[in-house]
Amino acid sequence: MCLQNFPCQEVERHNKPEVELKTSPELLLNPVLICRNEAEKCLIETSINSLRISIKVKQADELENILTKKFLRFLSMRAEAFQVLRRKPVQGYDISFLITNYHCEDMQKNKLIDFIVQFMEDIDKEISELKMSVNTRGRLVATEFLKQFI
Amino acid sequence: MAGSEGFVEADNTEAIIIRIEQKSRKIESLLRQFKPVEALKMALEGSPPKTKDERCKSANWIVVHRAIMAIKDVDGLFVSLDPEYYDILMKYLYRGLSTGDRPTCDQCLRIHEKLTEKAGLGCILRSLADTVNTV
Repeated sequence: MCLQNFPCQEVERHNKPEVELKTSPELLLNPVLICRNEAEKCLIETSINSLRISIKVKQADELENILTKKFLRFLSMRAEAFQVLRRKPVQGYDISFLITNYHCEDMQKNKLIDFIVQFMEDIDKEISELKMSVNTRGRLVATEFLKQFI
Repeated sequence: MAGSEGFVEADNTEAIIIRIEQKSRKIESLLRQFKPVEALKMALEGSPPKTKDERCKSANWIVVHRAIMAIKDVDGLFVSLDPEYYDILMKYLYRGLSTGDRPTCDQCLRIHEKLTEKAGLGCILRSLADTVNTV
């Protein structure tokens, strides 16, 4: 992850993450798309001063679909607290991270990568826990409700 | 000037596609003889790096894909493959990983792991940074 400060070429005194704008092809590297299978994929786009990672989480059924969407929207809304999180995921993905040269100056690169890996693992754990609790509660409610008809 | 270059490009494209078709016939025969490593070497050899034409790249990708899926023994592959082909193979592996098709991705991930061990991180970086010779 070699990111350096690069002031905007087009506009004076502006400093923009080039991976978001994509105005100058010479500042961009080849984007890499890694698919584990049809449901999960990860897109990594780099430029001279920024790096964007977009991940699509596996969603096995409709319930997981809804849970993932709500949970990740909750996290994205609070993107300020996470610093490297992007407020809106890239089209076609569930969650996006934007790492700029400023983040690399303030924080250690290997810790940033560890953070992202840990974050995604925690999201997976959280979503399975949520799914289990929804199913348990649904079962409890249904049993209580149907008891009156026995 | 641009017009004549356009014509040269078109001729080259047709010639390249014909070459790729001939190559694919040879590769099919090699695969029938259970020599997937030679097949892959031949597929990677004629990779046209400077063409911008998507058809040539797609045609060559289909051929390389066929050879990659036929490989069963990944360690044996690296014993006989020359280091100059590592970079091209890495680029094709990333193209395979972007397809999303499960068996392709599984096979590509397996080969990618071994190739990274052999060729190191520089190989991955070269496939990322090389915007001129893409596959």
